[in-house]
Amino acid sequence: MHAFSFPSGLDTSPEQVALSTCEAVRLITEEAALTPAAGEEIRLETVVSEGHVVDQGQPIATLHGSTTISIVAPMAGRIASMELRPGRRLVQIVLFRERGGDRHVFNTKGAEADPGVLRNLLQQSGIWRLVRSRPFGAMPRVDEHPAAIFVMASDSRPGSPDPRLAIQGREDAFERGLSALTTLTDGPVFLVASKGKVPGDDLRRVTRLTSGRLHPMGLAGLHVHRRFPATPKAPIWDVQAEVVANLGDLLATGLLPETLLVSLTGTALREPRLVHCQAGADLRGLSREVVEPGPHVVLSGSVLDGASAHWLRPRDRQASVIRKETQHERSHWFRNALRTASRPLPIIPTAALNQSFGGNFPAAAFVRALAAGDIETATKFGALSFLEEDLSLADFVTAADPPLSRQLRVLLDRVQDEEFGQ
Amino acid sequence: MIRGLWDRETVALLLLAALMPVASAWLWFGGTEALLRLLLTLTVSGIWHFVFMIVRAQPPSFAGAITALGVAMFAPQDLGLVAMLLGISFGTVMGELVFGGWGRNVLNPATVTLAFLGFGYPGVSWPDFLLPIAWAAIPTAALGVIFGVMPVRVILGAVVILMPAWALGLQSQPALVGAGLVLVVLVSDPVASASTRLGGWLNGLTYGALVVLFAIHWTDAAAVQLAVSAALLAGLAAPLLDEIAITLWIARRTGRHG
Repeated sequence: MHAFSFPSGLDTSPEQVALSTCEAVRLITEEAALTPAAGEEIRLETVVSEGHVVDQGQPIATLHGSTTISIVAPMAGRIASMELRPGRRLVQIVLFRERGGDRHVFNTKGAEADPGVLRNLLQQSGIWRLVRSRPFGAMPRVDEHPAAIFVMASDSRPGSPDPRLAIQGREDAFERGLSALTTLTDGPVFLVASKGKVPGDDLRRVTRLTSGRLHPMGLAGLHVHRRFPATPKAPIWDVQAEVVANLGDLLATGLLPETLLVSLTGTALREPRLVHCQAGADLRGLSREVVEPGPHVVLSGSVLDGASAHWLRPRDRQASVIRKETQHERSHWFRNALRTASRPLPIIPTAALNQSFGGNFPAAAFVRALAAGDIETATKFGALSFLEEDLSLADFVTAADPPLSRQLRVLLDRVQDEEFGQ
Repeated sequence: MIRGLWDRETVALLLLAALMPVASAWLWFGGTEALLRLLLTLTVSGIWHFVFMIVRAQPPSFAGAITALGVAMFAPQDLGLVAMLLGISFGTVMGELVFGGWGRNVLNPATVTLAFLGFGYPGVSWPDFLLPIAWAAIPTAALGVIFGVMPVRVILGAVVILMPAWALGLQSQPALVGAGLVLVVLVSDPVASASTRLGGWLNGLTYGALVVLFAIHWTDAAAVQLAVSAALLAGLAAPLLDEIAITLWIARRTGRHG
């Protein structure tokens, strides 16, 4: 298959240039927490309790209903609190760091030879949870077999760290993880990165895709949409390159790497920052030294698709610290009436709207189908390959209200109900 | 988390900004009379937007000013005040506001107004435009395309037909001037023209072809009249052209992925 690149999008190079001058520092925060990913709702059976001391990587809970899937401790520490909503739904599990703690060793014997063993290892080590399955965007079901896997060594969101940096110096681990992943699917494995050599692109069964420089070309959604559309019967997985390298390290040593490469950017920072920190790190702890005085908001994720958060969310590799807008608009009943009378707001088809979908895509018609809740048409346009993050740029560009990403989520939930009847 | 500024009103204001070269050239050469016509159409359009805001809680839009400009520029000259009031009221209300305001309309309200006046009052004299005003259409189209608020394919599609037709002598220079001005002010409206890539090309080609067709066969029509008629028909065809483009796009996609 030939390489391709999309023609249009948002230029995020100023942020990337500012980041590329940073030296990544290792920074483990004193507290860290396990939280649900954006929009995720998981029910847990905890296997430790408050006050327990756990090793880094030690399973601390399993999924209700599929006990082979674990979530693991991001660092060696003491369980400070476990907050679960009724139905044992995860709110957050907070850990305090214990210096000199141990690292949990996984049994990786036979995982590279036997896909069944590898699936078990992925599920036990918490890597399963970092894999995202489309349509719907949750972690894969316990017995799910993907029709294709997209490994993302590119990320075009403003202020995101270059995923190639995260696998730099770990090429062997990345290739090992990648070739292990290929055993999990009978379909193709796509490796998406910007131009240039990437480790593992010469592996058998791996198809190299070139992503454009502009946002949203570096997101998995557009590539899935274009190359291998997801359907409920043929789910597609997308995995970050760093996670694949972590899998490689896990296979080689039985240990989960302790840190992730995370970037901190935003208008309220004196300078951008690159850190190696643990999963679920305390975002205030990460940004404390570089944040400007004054009111600010800390987001996990980019300014486009992030959400205000205390802890780094599971799949996020960046945090944004932005100044808080303090102006309050005075409320008036008439203005409120105007604001709420006609929703969704009309979207004017402009070049900006088309570019936010990466070019050759009937964006205006798709947006209309979303607003009308027309599942059939939206599905024909390939809506099932998209997730919220893929529409966040369109949201930014059009100031859509309600946001297109939320409209998409409503549509995906309805399709999921129809398919699986929850 | 952060929100862009590109909501409906920003687009409307950018369209207005893009139209400034044409508008100011037209005002410069039209003098007081043109200014008074613009004030009249602005007032009527504004009143209807206000009425719909009070009665239907529909936020008013700067797009009303674009409609007013289009009507003031192209409306027949010797119409009475009543006819003018009726025309712009019909166009603004039935062409735009009853659909829920700008962004939900199917046709360009100024085109609807002008078609209404053309069919309702046959025999009136349509305005002619001096060449300098037509030259101003070029910076207008350029600004609109650079701002991304005018569909570039519609404009190019029309130019691809209109220019060779003029060079071959199929249409006169006044017809080309009229068609060019109607193209930038009425046809290249992001809402009422086709929004897909292929649809945009087809939309522009349709408009250009209709103008040439009318120029050849509708010999007693004024330049602006035939351009406005072509704009109306091209606008009516736009959803169909979009539908064709989308059907082809989906068919190609299904062919690729099964």
